[in-house]
Amino acid sequence: MPEYPAYRHIGKSTQRLDAVDIVTGKATFLDDFKLPNMLIGRALRSPHAHARIKSIDAQAARALKGVHAVLTHKEVSDKVRLGWPLYRPFMGEKVCYVGDIVALIAAETDEIAEEAIDLIEVEYEVLKPVFTALESLAPGAPQLYDTVPGNDVPPGFPQFQPEGPFYNIHRGDIEEGFAKSAFVAEDTIHFNKMCPPLSPEPPGSIVRWDGGDDYRVWATTQSSFILKILNSGSIPGSNLRVSSFNVGGSYGNKQALVIPTASAAMLSRAAGGRPVKFFLSKVGQLATHETRLGSTIQAKIGVDKDGRVCAVQGNWLLDSGAFSDSIQGQVGVGLGEAQLVTSKCKYWDFDTRIALTNKAPAGIVRGYGGQELNSCLALLIARAMKAGNFDPIECYKLNYVQPGDKYQWRDGLWWECKGSLAYPEAMEAAAQKFGWKDKWKGWGVPTSVNGRKVTGVGAGIIGNGDVGEDYTEAYVKIVPNIADDGSKVVVQIDVTESGMGQRSNLAKMAAEILDVDMSMVQVTDPDTLMNPTNMGLCGSRGTITNGRAVSDAALDLKRKVLEMASAKLKLPVEELDTREGYVYVKADPEKRLPWKFLGPPFLTIMGYGRHIENFSTPNFCIFIVEVEVDLDNGLAKILKIVSGTDAGQIIDAKTIEMQMHGGIGAACVDTALYEEHIVDKATGRLMTTNLIDYKWRPFNEFPAFDMAILESQINSFHFKAVGVGEISGAAGAGAVLMAISNAIGEEVSEYPATPDVVLKAIAKKSAAVAAAKKGGC
Amino acid sequence: MRNKTIVPLEKLTVNLAVANLAEDEQEQGGDYIKLKINGQEFEFSVGSRLGQVAPNETLSTTLRERLNLTGSKESCGQGACGCCTVIMDGDAVTSCILLTVECAGKEITTIEGLRDPVTGKLSDIQQAFIDYYAFQCGYCTPGIIMTSKALLDKNPNVSNEEIAEALAGNYCRCISQYHVIDAVKHVAEAQRGN
Repeated sequence: MPEYPAYRHIGKSTQRLDAVDIVTGKATFLDDFKLPNMLIGRALRSPHAHARIKSIDAQAARALKGVHAVLTHKEVSDKVRLGWPLYRPFMGEKVCYVGDIVALIAAETDEIAEEAIDLIEVEYEVLKPVFTALESLAPGAPQLYDTVPGNDVPPGFPQFQPEGPFYNIHRGDIEEGFAKSAFVAEDTIHFNKMCPPLSPEPPGSIVRWDGGDDYRVWATTQSSFILKILNSGSIPGSNLRVSSFNVGGSYGNKQALVIPTASAAMLSRAAGGRPVKFFLSKVGQLATHETRLGSTIQAKIGVDKDGRVCAVQGNWLLDSGAFSDSIQGQVGVGLGEAQLVTSKCKYWDFDTRIALTNKAPAGIVRGYGGQELNSCLALLIARAMKAGNFDPIECYKLNYVQPGDKYQWRDGLWWECKGSLAYPEAMEAAAQKFGWKDKWKGWGVPTSVNGRKVTGVGAGIIGNGDVGEDYTEAYVKIVPNIADDGSKVVVQIDVTESGMGQRSNLAKMAAEILDVDMSMVQVTDPDTLMNPTNMGLCGSRGTITNGRAVSDAALDLKRKVLEMASAKLKLPVEELDTREGYVYVKADPEKRLPWKFLGPPFLTIMGYGRHIENFSTPNFCIFIVEVEVDLDNGLAKILKIVSGTDAGQIIDAKTIEMQMHGGIGAACVDTALYEEHIVDKATGRLMTTNLIDYKWRPFNEFPAFDMAILESQINSFHFKAVGVGEISGAAGAGAVLMAISNAIGEEVSEYPATPDVVLKAIAKKSAAVAAAKKGGC
Repeated sequence: MRNKTIVPLEKLTVNLAVANLAEDEQEQGGDYIKLKINGQEFEFSVGSRLGQVAPNETLSTTLRERLNLTGSKESCGQGACGCCTVIMDGDAVTSCILLTVECAGKEITTIEGLRDPVTGKLSDIQQAFIDYYAFQCGYCTPGIIMTSKALLDKNPNVSNEEIAEALAGNYCRCISQYHVIDAVKHVAEAQRGN
């Protein structure tokens, strides 16, 4: 058993810093914020999936009273670009998806902007579109951009891969790998309905051009710094100062916000520096904002006689929609995560390709490529396990990465796992909580049959090394009070609250180290100018990276405080300690000195901490599910979920519970049941652009949920914790399909398994049974 | 579609054929409507000129843009997500699909109206949402709280299923549902105990 430190704050449930603001409506979100003289930015968007603008006349729109700027591709510099590498203009002569921007308008009101949109006359030459990645790469397919021959997006993301692109894995003699395999599965699996994570708050930005290359940005971004970096690339030479407020959900999907930000920036500049608000409607969010990337694998998996994956061969084809600004990075993470769940595999022959299609852009979503690949790969691994009649959870224990295993991460470099030893134990704890041993009846065998209703169980695993991604800094400062002898602790860090509670958890870490009440700690507002560098909360990185930066800064501060007190009190540092804003003498705690009087009047005392990127402590989650299927109507319903992990030291008990619950949302588990974007292939329009047509799980359809969270004290940073939020439901989709397949006794491998899909599988099984009987007669 | 704020003079197509407006006009002496919002009476001039409440202005816009009561959020604009929920004469309603002129004479409570205005004490339902950590991003929370309050005001004797059913029109994507049901159940039990 690990030794559990006795903490004052860490591990307990603490009221979130913004809790009262949230429940009283005081918390500010972007749409609640106004600037003097603010204009409304809107876009005329393409009605065609692929077309050339033959002519555009915006004179009437420009002449409309209340309109302050109208921009078409003729006015917007070709140097403002999108995609990676920057392969397309922000606005060009061609439009490449329904919703592509044709013109931008800044006006006094929404209504005037709408009127102006109606006044713009555009003549299009409609071009043949292409909607699937496979068709897009075929010879003779319509070409989206001259800069991307064959619609084949070049590999490599230098921001992640400075030493060269990482986009395939070739290791060992693959034929030797299959020769060592006892069981093999081979097929093509699609996970390409390109679902949106669909945050409640739509994406948006307010931008004010402050002259020269300076822009002031307020945005719904979960990461101000990522927005700054990626928009600086799209708007050459720009210097953005970015702030955010409370963010109404993001799930990785509201980071760069290039379309709203660059639109508002260009309009503000054109309107002489008046601030412009470019905020999408819900329909706009569903129709045009970034979706999950499309994913198809054609692969062959070999498993040895004990159930270890020992050979992986195939191709991963990604659909990026009309553009994507970091899909190559997602490929790198996806390949990394695939290795974590097949960590003993020595034989690889696995390639990737990225295709452009005439659909809304794909982008960053919770899961970041790993989830999309896992949803495909898990089904093939399951098929090989089925061939060997292995219990899947026992196989997962053998296959998941353990300390000492090596893998290539998204940077293409080799990393040795230094993470938890207890992941197999977490799998077992979750299995026991679920009652797996009783419910698992074997492959293709239902757990229960109750008339025409059958149940089945399934399980999936996933993990991510990105928990240590990116370079991060923080300051922790003592700021003396004016009115009394007290002080405040200020955590200076660029972290937005978008639901994870991490700002409060970072305050807890500082409070723990400095031994103060939480009421003494404040966290600075997210702002790229006022705070040191921080990529925000992505890929469950917040706990280790921000945790390390803050705890090291607090430790640095504590050291300085004790040294300053040592000089004042003329006592060795070892004889002193600090609590509630005082340094006291350990042997005589009544003898104490307020922090305020350690240095010159009103000057601050500051500690500094930083995290250096490191991919060696992957996290882990198992997702176990029981599903009921109605054999008459094909409706599949989740009855029970148990989620398991080892989070190391829990920082806040209720926060981690909610992170585990969160795996149900954001286009995770329900991509297996009903979440899908449906494209009308005649027009290229999405048919699922409102909250009625796009399906989501309402309050009254939530299954029983339990979890098994181990606390093994992982060797990660001062508080020995690891973040798990991103992946809590990431293996859920594959687990649900496994459960449905077991319930009905016929494999279902089509996402989502809507009633028609399930009924087809049931009919296939019935036909096979009938044929067998006939043959038997 | 975003809702309208101020209708420009050039675009006016005033439709005054709102049935109850005619009666209200007579009762209230002209093109004015009265609403009681969080205990305070507001009288709005209805019409097409700058500053007037246009007949097509939604309650959400009136609350958020005109009165700066931005606690309830406008997310879908189609009455499907419940983020804009307020209580009108005891019922939880989605303010993004209600016209302000339809609300003449009604009593409205928004999330800002739950806390004691003098002492600042939170209402029981607000306190329970903190105690049970029944939110994540918090964008949908004001709407969820208002729906829950309307439910409990009518009937504190509710089961978990009834709470979930009442909240079926409230979208939450971070997944606070489990903690929300616990919080609402706690308040219901406390009310019953009293």
